[in-house]
Amino acid sequence: MNPNDSDAARFTPATADRRGERDLDDLLVHVARGDQVAFEALYDRMVGPVYGVIRRVLRDPSQSEEVAQEVLLEVWRTAARFDPAMGGAATWVTTIAHRRAIDRIRSTTAAADREQKSADVRPPHDEVAEAVEASLDRERVRRCLDGLTEMQRESITLAYYGGHSYRQVAELLSVTLAAIKTRIRDGLIRMRDCLGVS
Amino acid sequence: MRLLRQDLHTLTGAYALDALEEGGELTRFNRHLSRCQSCASEVRGFREVATAMAFAVATEPPPEMRDRVMAAVARTRQLPPEVRTHARPRRTRGTAPWLPWLSGAVATAAIAVAVFFGFANSHTQEQLNAARARNQALAASQARVEAELSQARAHDQALAKILGAPHVTLLSRATTKGGVAVVVLDSAKRQLVVATSGLPALPPGKVYQLWLIGPVKIVSAGLLPAAENGVTPPAVATGIVKGDKLGLTVEPAPGSTQPTTTPILALPLPV
Repeated sequence: MNPNDSDAARFTPATADRRGERDLDDLLVHVARGDQVAFEALYDRMVGPVYGVIRRVLRDPSQSEEVAQEVLLEVWRTAARFDPAMGGAATWVTTIAHRRAIDRIRSTTAAADREQKSADVRPPHDEVAEAVEASLDRERVRRCLDGLTEMQRESITLAYYGGHSYRQVAELLSVTLAAIKTRIRDGLIRMRDCLGVS
Repeated sequence: MRLLRQDLHTLTGAYALDALEEGGELTRFNRHLSRCQSCASEVRGFREVATAMAFAVATEPPPEMRDRVMAAVARTRQLPPEVRTHARPRRTRGTAPWLPWLSGAVATAAIAVAVFFGFANSHTQEQLNAARARNQALAASQARVEAELSQARAHDQALAKILGAPHVTLLSRATTKGGVAVVVLDSAKRQLVVATSGLPALPPGKVYQLWLIGPVKIVSAGLLPAAENGVTPPAVATGIVKGDKLGLTVEPAPGSTQPTTTPILALPLPV
């Protein structure tokens, strides 16, 4: 397989299988009008990233399943509020998923539970290596993460996959708040360029 | 002050990753975001990065989850679209903050058509003069609000996007009660902007409400903003599907979930 083939085959909204992305936007428009068949198609496309990101943040499989179900139901319920001017459908859905996972861990009861499960804060890079298995999508994100400085990579993965606030990230990495803010932002700028986000 | 703003600006990354804790900082940043266009577009780009990161850890859940979600969907009512009028408090000062966002040619066309068609039923010189005067008033108002450009909110970009889209269709139709609706339709994005001119004034407690009247379902597309000099500022409707007509009814304030009166307009939307 030559590199061009892999470019054509990859699907992530950040790159540009623009066609795929448009289909997803269209599906969501139909979902907003009560089309359950469109919702099933949307489900099949989005359940992987939704469950995957929630699972990464919460770690606990049964809690993750519960939150993923809530998120998908929220997508159904609020589809009419999707505003294409604010980004694509895939981004809208994964943003809800990540935020609901964060809501769950920042609610006090879950926090204690999770702290126990993750008493060993695993080195972020290993975590990514574990998460990002072989697939073109994963490979690309991994490659772009590898292009960051170690501090940028750790900050971003602790925040996004680890579900930590930037304040917690600063504590974990023993650096100042200002430094973390800048590293996350600089790292995301590099990621954005590396992934070819417009 | 400058330092503080700079400080807020660097939070775009943490914000996009949901890494701001609830509280003052998040509230301040949200407020900042509504005024800072470059921050909003940076956040959008970062969210796409986050989306790629979510796809990169895609994991299949237990298969039985699908049935559970579908069963829940079948018994869960959907929320109607948010009522978005684009009429903001600032409008009461007599300015039209949406104007700067209209791209030149389309803006001129939209305003000219809105004003002209409002008087198209009779062609007396007097009315044409009135139309011209109105047009000039709008142009003057546009000039006045150029200064507010930097303050305009991210929300208005939706409007600009539709009006700036390469393949928009301009539609207009008189209502059965007089006046005319002018629609700029972006069929690719399934959205439209609608403005009206010369609709009858309503008694207190009544509002004009827009609808997307589909073959199987009618959904609210929000309220028509209050008229200024007989012209209602553009309202945005999204989520148009094939076979939809744009409807307009008179409803008791603050609007209805389904139309309660006969539509005074039913304009087919070619998408």
